[in-house]
Amino acid sequence: MTTAIMALSNVRDLYQQVILEHYKKPRHKGKTNPVHRQQRGHNPSCGDTIELTLKLNDAGDTIEDVKFEGEGCAIAMASADLMADVLRGKQVTEALSMVQRFQNMMKGEDEFPKELRKLNVMQGVSQFPVRIKCANLTWHTLKAALESTHDLANTGFVSNEDT
Amino acid sequence: MTLTREKTLADRIRSDFPILHQKVNGKPLVYLDNAATSQKPLLVLNTLRDYYEQYNSNVHRGVHTLSAKATDAYEAARDKVAAFINAASRQEIVFTRNASEAINLVAYSWGSSLQTGDEIILSVMEHHSNLIPWQLLAQRTGAVLKFVELTAEQEFDLEHFKSLISDKTKLVATVHVSNTLGCISPVKEIAAIAHEHGAKVLIDACQSVPHMPIDVQQIDCDWLVASGHKMCAPTGIGFLYGKLDILRSMSPFLGGGEMIADVFLDHATYADLPHKFEAGTPAIAEAIALGAAVDYLSAIGMDNIYAYEAELTAYLWEQLGQISEIQTYGPQPKVAGLGRAALAAFTAGDVHPHDLSTILDQAGVAIRAGHHCTQPLHRHLGIQSTARASLSFYNTRQEIDVFIAALKEAIEFFGSIFS
Ligand SMILES: Cc1ncc(COP(=O)(O)O)c(C=O)c1O
Repeated sequence: MTTAIMALSNVRDLYQQVILEHYKKPRHKGKTNPVHRQQRGHNPSCGDTIELTLKLNDAGDTIEDVKFEGEGCAIAMASADLMADVLRGKQVTEALSMVQRFQNMMKGEDEFPKELRKLNVMQGVSQFPVRIKCANLTWHTLKAALESTHDLANTGFVSNEDT
Repeated sequence: MTLTREKTLADRIRSDFPILHQKVNGKPLVYLDNAATSQKPLLVLNTLRDYYEQYNSNVHRGVHTLSAKATDAYEAARDKVAAFINAASRQEIVFTRNASEAINLVAYSWGSSLQTGDEIILSVMEHHSNLIPWQLLAQRTGAVLKFVELTAEQEFDLEHFKSLISDKTKLVATVHVSNTLGCISPVKEIAAIAHEHGAKVLIDACQSVPHMPIDVQQIDCDWLVASGHKMCAPTGIGFLYGKLDILRSMSPFLGGGEMIADVFLDHATYADLPHKFEAGTPAIAEAIALGAAVDYLSAIGMDNIYAYEAELTAYLWEQLGQISEIQTYGPQPKVAGLGRAALAAFTAGDVHPHDLSTILDQAGVAIRAGHHCTQPLHRHLGIQSTARASLSFYNTRQEIDVFIAALKEAIEFFGSIFS
Protein backbone atom coordinates (compact mmCIF):
# COMPACT_ATOMS: atom_id res chain seq x y z
CA MET A 1 0.00 0.00 0.00
CA THR A 2 1.74 3.16 -1.14
CA THR A 3 -0.91 5.84 -0.99
CA ALA A 4 -1.21 7.88 2.15
CA ILE A 5 -3.79 6.26 4.32
CA MET A 6 -4.74 9.26 6.37
CA ALA A 7 -5.46 12.89 5.94
CA LEU A 8 -1.97 13.87 7.03
CA SER A 9 -2.73 17.55 6.71
CA ASN A 10 -5.10 17.34 9.68
CA VAL A 11 -2.53 15.44 11.64
CA ARG A 12 0.09 18.06 10.79
CA ASP A 13 -2.20 20.84 12.01
CA LEU A 14 -2.41 19.13 15.35
CA TYR A 15 1.13 17.90 15.69
CA GLN A 16 3.04 20.93 14.56
CA GLN A 17 6.79 20.62 14.43
CA VAL A 18 7.16 22.84 17.48
CA ILE A 19 4.86 20.66 19.52
CA LEU A 20 6.74 17.53 18.61
CA GLU A 21 10.04 19.17 19.45
CA HIS A 22 8.83 20.17 22.89
CA TYR A 23 7.55 16.63 23.38
CA LYS A 24 10.75 14.95 22.36
CA LYS A 25 13.24 17.44 23.78
CA PRO A 26 11.57 19.16 26.72
CA ARG A 27 13.58 21.98 28.27
CA HIS A 28 11.81 22.19 31.58
CA LYS A 29 11.68 18.67 32.89
CA GLY A 30 12.62 18.14 36.50
CA LYS A 31 12.08 19.98 39.77
CA THR A 32 12.73 23.59 40.64
CA ASN A 33 15.26 24.47 43.31
CA PRO A 34 13.93 25.42 45.72
CA VAL A 35 10.35 24.22 45.49
CA HIS A 36 7.85 26.86 46.60
CA ARG A 37 4.79 25.27 45.11
CA GLN A 38 4.20 21.69 44.13
CA GLN A 39 1.08 20.24 42.56
CA ARG A 40 0.14 17.02 40.86
CA GLY A 41 -2.63 16.79 38.31
CA HIS A 42 -4.10 13.98 36.25
CA ASN A 43 -6.68 12.99 33.71
CA PRO A 44 -8.10 9.91 35.44
CA SER A 45 -9.82 8.46 32.39
CA CYS A 46 -6.66 8.29 30.32
CA GLY A 47 -4.02 8.07 33.01
CA ASP A 48 -1.96 11.11 32.06
CA THR A 49 -0.22 12.60 35.08
CA ILE A 50 1.84 15.71 35.65
CA GLU A 51 3.73 17.16 38.58
CA LEU A 52 4.54 20.85 38.53
CA THR A 53 7.03 22.57 40.80
CA LEU A 54 7.36 26.34 41.02
CA LYS A 55 9.99 28.69 42.32
CA LEU A 56 8.68 32.13 43.30
CA ASN A 57 10.41 35.39 44.18
CA ASP A 58 10.77 36.47 47.81
CA ALA A 59 7.50 38.35 47.79
CA GLY A 60 5.78 35.25 46.43
CA ASP A 61 4.01 37.20 43.68
CA THR A 62 6.22 36.37 40.70
CA ILE A 63 7.14 33.07 39.10
CA GLU A 64 10.87 32.59 38.72
CA ASP A 65 10.93 29.04 37.44
CA VAL A 66 8.57 26.22 36.53
CA LYS A 67 9.46 22.59 35.98
CA PHE A 68 7.37 19.53 35.28
CA GLU A 69 7.51 15.82 35.49
CA GLY A 70 4.94 13.39 34.26
CA GLU A 71 3.81 10.90 31.74
CA GLY A 72 1.45 11.52 28.95
CA CYS A 73 0.89 12.05 25.28
CA ALA A 74 2.72 14.49 23.02
CA ILE A 75 0.00 17.11 23.45
CA ALA A 76 0.05 17.00 27.26
CA MET A 77 3.82 17.00 27.56
CA ALA A 78 4.44 19.66 24.92
CA SER A 79 1.78 21.86 26.49
CA ALA A 80 3.57 21.62 29.85
CA ASP A 81 6.96 22.44 28.37
CA LEU A 82 5.59 25.39 26.41
CA MET A 83 3.81 26.67 29.48
CA ALA A 84 6.98 26.47 31.56
CA ASP A 85 8.78 28.36 28.82
CA VAL A 86 6.50 31.36 28.92
CA LEU A 87 5.84 31.57 32.66
CA ARG A 88 9.27 32.65 33.81
CA GLY A 89 9.12 36.17 35.18
CA LYS A 90 5.32 36.33 35.05
CA GLN A 91 3.34 37.63 37.96
CA VAL A 92 1.04 35.16 39.67
CA THR A 93 -2.02 37.20 38.73
CA GLU A 94 -0.86 37.35 35.13
CA ALA A 95 -0.31 33.59 35.09
CA LEU A 96 -3.82 33.01 36.37
CA SER A 97 -5.32 35.07 33.59
CA MET A 98 -3.20 33.12 31.10
CA VAL A 99 -4.83 29.94 32.41
CA GLN A 100 -8.20 31.42 31.56
CA ARG A 101 -7.04 32.55 28.16
CA PHE A 102 -5.55 29.17 27.34
CA GLN A 103 -8.77 27.41 28.26
CA ASN A 104 -10.71 29.84 26.09
CA MET A 105 -8.28 29.24 23.24
CA MET A 106 -9.07 25.54 23.48
CA LYS A 107 -12.70 26.45 22.90
CA GLY A 108 -11.58 28.37 19.82
CA GLU A 109 -12.61 31.64 21.46
CA ASP A 110 -9.33 33.40 22.08
CA GLU A 111 -5.64 33.50 21.30
CA PHE A 112 -2.51 34.96 22.86
CA PRO A 113 -1.10 38.36 21.90
CA LYS A 114 2.18 38.77 20.09
CA GLU A 115 4.53 38.47 23.07
CA LEU A 116 3.00 35.13 24.03
CA ARG A 117 2.23 33.91 20.52
CA LYS A 118 4.34 30.79 20.86
CA LEU A 119 1.44 29.36 22.88
CA ASN A 120 -0.77 29.73 19.83
CA VAL A 121 0.73 26.59 18.28
CA MET A 122 -1.64 24.72 20.57
CA GLN A 123 -4.63 26.23 18.76
CA GLY A 124 -4.90 23.22 16.45
CA VAL A 125 -5.96 21.13 19.45
CA SER A 126 -9.29 22.96 19.53
CA GLN A 127 -10.19 21.08 16.35
CA PHE A 128 -9.82 17.77 18.23
CA PRO A 129 -12.32 18.06 21.10
CA VAL A 130 -11.33 14.79 22.77
CA ARG A 131 -7.74 16.00 23.05
CA ILE A 132 -8.44 19.37 24.65
CA LYS A 133 -8.13 17.94 28.13
CA CYS A 134 -4.61 16.77 27.23
CA ALA A 135 -3.53 20.32 26.46
CA ASN A 136 -5.38 21.78 29.44
CA LEU A 137 -3.95 19.41 32.04
CA THR A 138 -0.82 21.43 32.77
CA TRP A 139 -2.71 24.74 32.95
CA HIS A 140 -5.34 23.30 35.21
CA THR A 141 -2.61 21.98 37.48
CA LEU A 142 -0.85 25.34 37.45
CA LYS A 143 -4.03 27.04 38.59
CA ALA A 144 -4.31 24.67 41.55
CA ALA A 145 -0.64 25.22 42.39
CA LEU A 146 -1.02 28.99 42.39
CA GLU A 147 -4.29 29.01 44.29
CA SER A 148 -3.18 26.65 47.03
CA THR A 149 -2.72 28.80 50.09
CA HIS A 150 -0.15 26.71 51.89
CA ASP A 151 3.41 26.70 50.74
CA LEU A 152 5.15 23.64 49.44
CA ALA A 153 3.87 20.22 48.90
CA ASN A 154 0.31 19.57 48.05
CA THR A 155 0.33 15.82 47.84
CA GLY A 156 -3.08 15.14 46.32
CA PHE A 157 -3.92 15.14 42.63
CA VAL A 158 -6.18 17.69 41.04
CA SER A 159 -8.34 16.13 38.41
CA ASN A 160 -8.64 17.94 35.12
CA GLU A 161 -11.84 16.03 34.38
CA ASP A 162 -14.15 17.18 37.16
CA THR A 163 -16.09 20.07 35.79
CA MET B 1 -3.71 -12.98 -12.00
CA THR B 2 -7.06 -13.12 -10.34
CA LEU B 3 -7.51 -14.94 -7.13
CA THR B 4 -10.90 -16.28 -6.36
CA ARG B 5 -11.15 -16.09 -2.66
CA GLU B 6 -13.55 -18.12 -0.64
CA LYS B 7 -16.06 -15.92 1.12
CA THR B 8 -15.12 -15.43 4.74
CA LEU B 9 -17.50 -15.27 7.64
CA ALA B 10 -17.16 -11.48 7.68
CA ASP B 11 -17.89 -11.24 3.95
CA ARG B 12 -21.15 -13.05 4.54
CA ILE B 13 -22.46 -11.08 7.51
CA ARG B 14 -21.01 -7.55 7.24
CA SER B 15 -24.13 -6.28 5.54
CA ASP B 16 -26.02 -7.09 8.76
CA PHE B 17 -24.22 -4.19 10.46
CA PRO B 18 -25.35 -0.85 9.01
CA ILE B 19 -22.94 1.18 11.14
CA LEU B 20 -19.89 -0.41 9.54
CA HIS B 21 -20.72 1.06 6.16
CA GLN B 22 -19.79 4.67 6.70
CA LYS B 23 -16.84 7.00 6.34
CA VAL B 24 -15.09 8.54 9.31
CA ASN B 25 -12.83 11.52 8.60
CA GLY B 26 -13.31 10.77 4.94
CA LYS B 27 -12.09 7.17 5.19
CA PRO B 28 -14.07 3.94 5.42
CA LEU B 29 -14.61 3.11 9.07
CA VAL B 30 -12.42 0.33 10.44
CA TYR B 31 -13.90 -0.45 13.83
CA LEU B 32 -11.32 -2.15 16.04
CA ASP B 33 -12.69 -1.25 19.47
CA ASN B 34 -14.88 -4.28 19.94
CA ALA B 35 -13.61 -5.09 23.41
CA ALA B 36 -15.10 -1.78 24.56
CA THR B 37 -18.41 -2.45 22.87
CA SER B 38 -19.58 -4.39 19.83
CA GLN B 39 -21.70 -3.15 16.98
CA LYS B 40 -25.31 -4.28 16.61
CA PRO B 41 -26.81 -6.27 13.74
CA LEU B 42 -30.10 -5.36 12.07
CA LEU B 43 -31.85 -8.22 13.80
CA VAL B 44 -31.16 -6.57 17.15
CA LEU B 45 -32.06 -3.08 15.92
CA ASN B 46 -35.31 -4.35 14.43
CA THR B 47 -36.15 -6.19 17.62
CA LEU B 48 -35.89 -2.95 19.57
CA ARG B 49 -38.02 -1.16 17.04
CA ASP B 50 -40.65 -3.89 16.88
CA TYR B 51 -40.95 -3.89 20.62
CA TYR B 52 -41.61 -0.16 20.81
CA GLU B 53 -43.81 -0.07 17.71
CA GLN B 54 -45.86 -3.15 18.44
CA TYR B 55 -45.96 -4.34 22.04
CA ASN B 56 -44.29 -1.88 24.42
CA SER B 57 -45.81 -2.68 27.78
CA ASN B 58 -44.71 -3.42 31.32
CA VAL B 59 -43.88 -7.00 32.20
CA HIS B 60 -45.36 -9.24 34.89
CA ARG B 61 -47.95 -6.61 35.72
CA GLY B 62 -50.80 -6.60 33.29
CA VAL B 63 -53.30 -9.12 32.07
CA HIS B 64 -53.84 -7.27 28.85
CA THR B 65 -52.57 -8.59 25.55
CA LEU B 66 -49.57 -6.32 25.09
CA SER B 67 -48.33 -6.92 28.59
CA ALA B 68 -48.61 -10.66 28.10
CA LYS B 69 -46.69 -10.38 24.86
CA ALA B 70 -43.94 -8.28 26.41
CA THR B 71 -43.69 -10.66 29.36
CA ASP B 72 -43.43 -13.67 27.06
CA ALA B 73 -40.71 -12.05 24.98
CA TYR B 74 -38.80 -10.91 28.07
CA GLU B 75 -38.90 -14.38 29.59
CA ALA B 76 -38.08 -16.00 26.25
CA ALA B 77 -34.92 -13.90 26.19
CA ARG B 78 -33.99 -15.44 29.54
CA ASP B 79 -34.45 -18.92 28.05
CA LYS B 80 -32.19 -17.97 25.16
CA VAL B 81 -29.42 -16.71 27.42
CA ALA B 82 -29.75 -19.80 29.62
CA ALA B 83 -29.41 -22.09 26.61
CA PHE B 84 -26.55 -20.01 25.17
CA ILE B 85 -24.31 -20.66 28.18
CA ASN B 86 -25.87 -24.04 28.98
CA ALA B 87 -27.32 -23.10 32.36
CA ALA B 88 -29.17 -25.98 34.03
CA SER B 89 -32.21 -23.81 34.66
CA ARG B 90 -33.70 -20.59 33.35
CA GLN B 91 -34.03 -19.46 36.96
CA GLU B 92 -30.26 -19.20 37.11
CA ILE B 93 -30.24 -16.19 34.78
CA VAL B 94 -30.74 -12.78 36.41
CA PHE B 95 -30.91 -9.76 34.12
CA THR B 96 -28.78 -6.83 35.26
CA ARG B 97 -27.75 -3.56 33.67
CA ASN B 98 -24.29 -4.87 32.83
CA ALA B 99 -21.52 -7.09 34.15
CA SER B 100 -20.50 -4.50 36.72
CA GLU B 101 -23.95 -4.55 38.29
CA ALA B 102 -23.94 -8.35 38.31
CA ILE B 103 -20.64 -8.39 40.22
CA ASN B 104 -21.89 -5.77 42.67
CA LEU B 105 -25.01 -7.87 43.21
CA VAL B 106 -22.89 -10.82 44.31
CA ALA B 107 -20.53 -8.65 46.35
CA TYR B 108 -23.42 -7.16 48.33
CA SER B 109 -25.82 -10.02 48.57
CA TRP B 110 -23.49 -12.96 49.03
CA GLY B 111 -20.46 -10.99 50.18
CA SER B 112 -22.06 -9.44 53.23
CA SER B 113 -21.73 -12.72 55.11
CA LEU B 114 -17.93 -12.59 54.91
CA GLN B 115 -15.94 -11.96 58.06
CA THR B 116 -12.65 -10.44 59.07
CA GLY B 117 -9.78 -12.53 57.80
CA ASP B 118 -11.77 -14.34 55.09
CA GLU B 119 -9.84 -14.24 51.84
CA ILE B 120 -10.82 -13.36 48.29
CA ILE B 121 -8.49 -14.26 45.45
CA LEU B 122 -8.48 -12.11 42.31
CA SER B 123 -5.82 -11.69 39.63
CA VAL B 124 -3.69 -8.64 38.90
CA MET B 125 -5.31 -8.36 35.46
CA GLU B 126 -8.89 -7.79 36.64
CA HIS B 127 -10.99 -5.10 35.03
CA HIS B 128 -11.86 -2.42 37.61
CA SER B 129 -15.39 -3.88 37.53
CA ASN B 130 -14.09 -7.08 39.09
CA LEU B 131 -11.84 -5.29 41.55
CA ILE B 132 -13.57 -2.28 43.10
CA PRO B 133 -16.68 -4.19 44.30
CA TRP B 134 -14.34 -6.56 46.20
CA GLN B 135 -12.28 -3.68 47.58
CA LEU B 136 -15.51 -2.17 48.90
CA LEU B 137 -16.54 -5.53 50.33
CA ALA B 138 -13.14 -5.93 51.99
CA GLN B 139 -13.55 -2.50 53.57
CA ARG B 140 -17.01 -3.41 54.86
CA THR B 141 -16.20 -6.85 56.21
CA GLY B 142 -12.47 -6.95 56.93
CA ALA B 143 -11.98 -9.61 54.26
CA VAL B 144 -8.53 -9.73 52.66
CA LEU B 145 -7.80 -9.53 48.93
CA LYS B 146 -5.03 -11.63 47.37
CA PHE B 147 -3.82 -11.39 43.80
CA VAL B 148 -2.68 -14.06 41.39
CA GLU B 149 0.24 -12.86 39.29
CA LEU B 150 1.16 -13.60 35.70
CA THR B 151 3.40 -16.20 34.12
CA ALA B 152 6.32 -15.17 31.93
CA GLU B 153 3.94 -15.40 28.95
CA GLN B 154 1.62 -12.96 30.75
CA GLU B 155 -1.14 -15.41 31.50
CA PHE B 156 -2.93 -16.44 34.70
CA ASP B 157 -0.31 -18.17 36.86
CA LEU B 158 -2.00 -21.36 38.04
CA GLU B 159 0.96 -22.33 40.22
CA HIS B 160 0.90 -19.00 42.00
CA PHE B 161 -2.84 -19.39 42.43
CA LYS B 162 -2.29 -22.79 44.07
CA SER B 163 0.15 -21.20 46.48
CA LEU B 164 -2.38 -18.52 47.48
CA ILE B 165 -5.44 -20.65 48.01
CA SER B 166 -6.20 -22.05 51.44
CA ASP B 167 -9.16 -22.90 53.57
CA LYS B 168 -9.42 -19.21 54.41
CA THR B 169 -10.29 -18.52 50.77
CA LYS B 170 -14.01 -17.89 50.43
CA LEU B 171 -14.10 -16.63 46.87
CA VAL B 172 -12.06 -16.73 43.69
CA ALA B 173 -13.22 -14.05 41.24
CA THR B 174 -11.34 -13.81 37.99
CA VAL B 175 -11.53 -12.78 34.40
CA HIS B 176 -11.99 -15.48 31.76
CA VAL B 177 -10.42 -13.56 28.88
CA SER B 178 -8.41 -10.48 29.79
CA ASN B 179 -9.57 -7.36 27.96
CA THR B 180 -5.96 -6.16 27.87
CA LEU B 181 -3.69 -9.20 27.62
CA GLY B 182 -6.15 -11.31 25.66
CA CYS B 183 -5.06 -14.42 27.54
CA ILE B 184 -7.62 -17.14 28.23
CA SER B 185 -7.56 -18.30 31.83
CA PRO B 186 -8.01 -22.00 32.73
CA VAL B 187 -11.32 -21.37 34.46
CA LYS B 188 -12.30 -25.04 34.73
CA GLU B 189 -9.10 -25.87 36.64
CA ILE B 190 -9.43 -22.71 38.71
CA ALA B 191 -12.99 -23.68 39.69
CA ALA B 192 -12.00 -27.25 40.56
CA ILE B 193 -9.13 -26.09 42.79
CA ALA B 194 -11.30 -23.43 44.44
CA HIS B 195 -14.03 -25.95 45.19
CA GLU B 196 -11.53 -28.36 46.77
CA HIS B 197 -10.96 -25.61 49.31
CA GLY B 198 -14.62 -24.82 49.74
CA ALA B 199 -14.33 -21.46 47.96
CA LYS B 200 -16.89 -20.06 45.55
CA VAL B 201 -15.96 -19.02 42.02
CA LEU B 202 -17.10 -16.02 40.01
CA ILE B 203 -16.04 -15.72 36.36
CA ASP B 204 -15.99 -12.38 34.55
CA ALA B 205 -16.88 -13.60 31.09
CA CYS B 206 -17.35 -10.19 29.41
CA GLN B 207 -14.69 -10.92 26.81
CA SER B 208 -15.32 -14.64 26.38
CA VAL B 209 -19.09 -14.96 25.97
CA PRO B 210 -19.08 -12.85 22.76
CA HIS B 211 -16.23 -14.79 21.17
CA MET B 212 -16.34 -18.49 22.08
CA PRO B 213 -18.75 -21.21 23.19
CA ILE B 214 -19.35 -21.05 26.96
CA ASP B 215 -20.73 -23.88 29.06
CA VAL B 216 -21.23 -22.91 32.69
CA GLN B 217 -21.89 -26.50 33.75
CA GLN B 218 -18.64 -27.62 32.22
CA ILE B 219 -16.69 -24.77 33.85
CA ASP B 220 -18.60 -25.51 37.05
CA CYS B 221 -18.40 -21.90 38.23
CA ASP B 222 -20.79 -20.61 40.89
CA TRP B 223 -21.42 -17.30 39.15
CA LEU B 224 -20.63 -15.96 35.71
CA VAL B 225 -21.25 -12.42 34.47
CA ALA B 226 -21.35 -10.74 31.07
CA SER B 227 -22.53 -7.52 29.42
CA GLY B 228 -24.95 -7.55 26.51
CA HIS B 229 -23.38 -4.57 24.77
CA LYS B 230 -20.19 -6.51 24.06
CA MET B 231 -22.14 -9.33 22.41
CA CYS B 232 -24.17 -7.50 19.78
CA ALA B 233 -26.96 -6.46 22.18
CA PRO B 234 -27.83 -2.92 23.32
CA THR B 235 -26.32 -1.17 26.31
CA GLY B 236 -28.24 -1.32 29.58
CA ILE B 237 -28.57 -5.09 29.73
CA GLY B 238 -26.30 -7.79 31.08
CA PHE B 239 -26.71 -10.90 33.11
CA LEU B 240 -25.67 -12.82 36.16
CA TYR B 241 -25.61 -16.59 35.99
CA GLY B 242 -25.63 -18.25 39.40
CA LYS B 243 -26.11 -21.83 40.53
CA LEU B 244 -29.67 -22.26 41.68
CA ASP B 245 -29.01 -23.26 45.28
CA ILE B 246 -26.51 -20.45 45.72
CA LEU B 247 -28.84 -17.79 44.30
CA ARG B 248 -31.59 -19.18 46.55
CA SER B 249 -29.43 -18.76 49.62
CA MET B 250 -28.62 -15.13 48.79
CA SER B 251 -30.75 -12.29 50.13
CA PRO B 252 -32.08 -9.63 47.74
CA PHE B 253 -29.77 -6.90 46.45
CA LEU B 254 -32.15 -4.10 45.49
CA GLY B 255 -35.69 -3.80 46.76
CA GLY B 256 -38.76 -2.67 44.88
CA GLY B 257 -41.59 -3.85 42.72
CA GLU B 258 -41.25 -7.05 40.70
CA MET B 259 -39.05 -8.79 43.31
CA ILE B 260 -41.73 -9.41 45.90
CA ALA B 261 -44.26 -12.12 46.68
CA ASP B 262 -46.33 -10.62 49.47
CA VAL B 263 -45.91 -7.14 50.89
CA PHE B 264 -47.05 -5.77 54.25
CA LEU B 265 -46.24 -2.41 55.71
CA ASP B 266 -43.47 -3.71 57.91
CA HIS B 267 -42.16 -6.69 55.98
CA ALA B 268 -42.37 -8.61 52.75
CA THR B 269 -41.71 -11.98 51.27
CA TYR B 270 -39.76 -12.22 48.10
CA ALA B 271 -40.48 -13.58 44.69
CA ASP B 272 -38.87 -16.79 43.56
CA LEU B 273 -35.78 -16.77 41.39
CA PRO B 274 -34.82 -15.03 39.27
CA HIS B 275 -37.28 -12.22 40.02
CA LYS B 276 -35.98 -11.86 43.57
CA PHE B 277 -33.00 -10.08 42.06
CA GLU B 278 -34.84 -7.97 39.48
CA ALA B 279 -36.30 -5.04 41.40
CA GLY B 280 -38.30 -2.48 39.47
CA THR B 281 -39.24 -2.32 35.82
CA PRO B 282 -36.37 -3.97 33.97
CA ALA B 283 -34.76 -2.98 30.68
CA ILE B 284 -37.44 -4.84 28.77
CA ALA B 285 -36.61 -3.89 25.19
CA GLU B 286 -32.91 -4.37 25.84
CA ALA B 287 -33.44 -7.80 27.37
CA ILE B 288 -35.56 -8.91 24.42
CA ALA B 289 -32.89 -7.52 22.09
CA LEU B 290 -30.25 -9.47 24.01
CA GLY B 291 -32.31 -12.53 23.21
CA ALA B 292 -32.17 -11.54 19.54
CA ALA B 293 -28.40 -11.05 19.77
CA VAL B 294 -28.08 -14.55 21.18
CA ASP B 295 -30.20 -15.86 18.30
CA TYR B 296 -27.97 -14.02 15.86
CA LEU B 297 -24.72 -15.32 17.34
CA SER B 298 -26.10 -18.84 17.65
CA ALA B 299 -27.18 -18.86 14.02
CA ILE B 300 -23.61 -18.06 12.97
CA GLY B 301 -22.33 -20.52 15.55
CA MET B 302 -19.91 -19.68 18.35
CA ASP B 303 -17.49 -22.33 17.09
CA ASN B 304 -17.40 -20.60 13.71
CA ILE B 305 -16.91 -17.23 15.33
CA TYR B 306 -14.04 -18.54 17.44
CA ALA B 307 -12.38 -20.22 14.46
CA TYR B 308 -12.69 -17.16 12.22
CA GLU B 309 -11.44 -14.79 14.90
CA ALA B 310 -8.46 -17.10 15.47
CA GLU B 311 -7.56 -16.67 11.78
CA LEU B 312 -7.73 -12.91 12.22
CA THR B 313 -5.64 -13.18 15.39
CA ALA B 314 -2.90 -15.06 13.58
CA TYR B 315 -2.86 -12.46 10.82
CA LEU B 316 -2.97 -9.48 13.18
CA TRP B 317 -0.05 -10.76 15.25
CA GLU B 318 1.94 -11.70 12.19
CA GLN B 319 1.52 -8.18 10.83
CA LEU B 320 2.27 -6.45 14.13
CA GLY B 321 5.34 -8.66 14.53
CA GLN B 322 6.80 -7.10 11.43
CA ILE B 323 6.91 -3.59 12.86
CA SER B 324 10.04 -3.28 14.95
CA GLU B 325 8.72 -0.39 17.10
CA ILE B 326 5.71 -2.39 18.25
CA GLN B 327 5.72 -4.13 21.59
CA THR B 328 2.71 -6.34 22.23
CA TYR B 329 1.40 -7.56 25.58
CA GLY B 330 -0.12 -10.89 26.54
CA PRO B 331 0.67 -14.33 25.15
CA GLN B 332 1.63 -14.95 21.54
CA PRO B 333 -1.08 -16.81 19.64
CA LYS B 334 -0.52 -20.54 19.34
CA VAL B 335 -0.79 -22.47 16.08
CA ALA B 336 -3.50 -21.07 13.78
CA GLY B 337 -4.09 -18.08 16.03
CA LEU B 338 -5.60 -20.19 18.79
CA GLY B 339 -5.10 -19.83 22.51
CA ARG B 340 -5.73 -16.13 22.91
CA ALA B 341 -8.35 -13.52 22.13
CA ALA B 342 -8.51 -11.55 18.88
CA LEU B 343 -7.13 -8.36 20.36
CA ALA B 344 -3.73 -6.79 20.77
CA ALA B 345 -2.64 -4.27 23.38
CA PHE B 346 0.60 -2.66 22.35
CA THR B 347 2.93 0.29 22.56
CA ALA B 348 4.53 1.88 19.51
CA GLY B 349 7.93 3.26 20.39
CA ASP B 350 7.93 7.05 20.63
CA VAL B 351 4.28 7.41 19.72
CA HIS B 352 2.14 7.70 22.82
CA PRO B 353 -1.07 5.60 22.63
CA HIS B 354 -3.32 8.68 22.72
CA ASP B 355 -1.47 10.30 19.89
CA LEU B 356 -1.59 7.06 17.98
CA SER B 357 -5.33 6.79 18.48
CA THR B 358 -5.89 10.35 17.22
CA ILE B 359 -3.73 9.73 14.17
CA LEU B 360 -5.41 6.41 13.37
CA ASP B 361 -8.79 8.07 13.74
CA GLN B 362 -7.79 10.32 10.85
CA ALA B 363 -7.40 7.13 8.83
CA GLY B 364 -10.90 6.01 9.87
CA VAL B 365 -9.47 3.41 12.25
CA ALA B 366 -11.07 3.25 15.71
CA ILE B 367 -8.84 1.80 18.42
CA ARG B 368 -8.69 2.39 22.15
CA ALA B 369 -5.88 4.09 24.03
CA GLY B 370 -5.40 4.28 27.77
CA HIS B 371 -5.47 1.80 30.61
CA HIS B 372 -8.66 0.01 29.47
CA CYS B 373 -9.93 -0.08 33.05
CA THR B 374 -7.02 -2.31 34.06
CA GLN B 375 -4.84 0.30 35.76
CA PRO B 376 -3.27 -2.09 38.28
CA LEU B 377 -2.30 -4.43 35.44
CA HIS B 378 -0.62 -1.58 33.56
CA ARG B 379 1.21 -0.63 36.74
CA HIS B 380 2.21 -4.26 37.17
CA LEU B 381 3.61 -4.27 33.64
CA GLY B 382 5.40 -0.99 34.32
CA ILE B 383 3.54 0.97 31.66
CA GLN B 384 1.16 3.86 31.92
CA SER B 385 -1.04 3.10 28.96
CA THR B 386 -1.33 1.00 25.84
CA ALA B 387 -3.10 1.15 22.53
CA ARG B 388 -5.51 -1.70 21.86
CA ALA B 389 -6.98 -3.06 18.66
CA SER B 390 -9.77 -5.53 19.40
CA LEU B 391 -11.49 -7.54 16.70
CA SER B 392 -14.81 -9.14 16.09
CA PHE B 393 -16.14 -11.65 13.59
CA TYR B 394 -17.23 -8.86 11.23
CA ASN B 395 -13.68 -7.56 10.84
CA THR B 396 -11.64 -8.53 7.80
CA ARG B 397 -8.02 -9.05 6.82
CA GLN B 398 -8.34 -6.01 4.61
CA GLU B 399 -9.23 -3.95 7.65
CA ILE B 400 -6.17 -5.27 9.44
CA ASP B 401 -4.15 -4.16 6.41
CA VAL B 402 -5.57 -0.62 6.66
CA PHE B 403 -4.84 -0.55 10.38
CA ILE B 404 -1.27 -1.76 9.92
CA ALA B 405 -0.59 0.71 7.09
CA ALA B 406 -1.93 3.59 9.19
CA LEU B 407 0.10 2.41 12.15
CA LYS B 408 3.27 2.42 10.07
CA GLU B 409 2.49 5.88 8.79
CA ALA B 410 1.93 7.18 12.30
CA ILE B 411 5.23 5.74 13.49
CA GLU B 412 6.96 7.19 10.47
CA PHE B 413 5.35 10.59 10.99
CA PHE B 414 6.54 10.80 14.57
CA GLY B 415 9.88 9.24 13.72
CA SER B 416 10.67 11.62 10.88
CA ILE B 417 10.57 14.58 13.23
CA PHE B 418 13.30 13.20 15.41
CA SER B 419 15.70 11.50 13.07
C1 LIG C 1 -13.15 -8.05 31.24
C2 LIG C 1 -14.21 -7.03 31.52
N1 LIG C 1 -14.87 -7.06 32.67
C3 LIG C 1 -15.85 -6.19 32.97
C4 LIG C 1 -16.19 -5.19 32.08
C5 LIG C 1 -17.26 -4.24 32.49
O1 LIG C 1 -18.34 -4.26 31.67
P1 LIG C 1 -19.53 -3.20 31.90
O2 LIG C 1 -18.87 -1.86 31.91
O3 LIG C 1 -20.41 -3.41 30.74
O4 LIG C 1 -20.15 -3.54 33.20
C6 LIG C 1 -15.53 -5.12 30.86
C7 LIG C 1 -15.84 -4.08 29.86
O5 LIG C 1 -15.57 -2.93 29.93
C8 LIG C 1 -14.50 -6.05 30.58
O6 LIG C 1 -13.82 -6.00 29.43
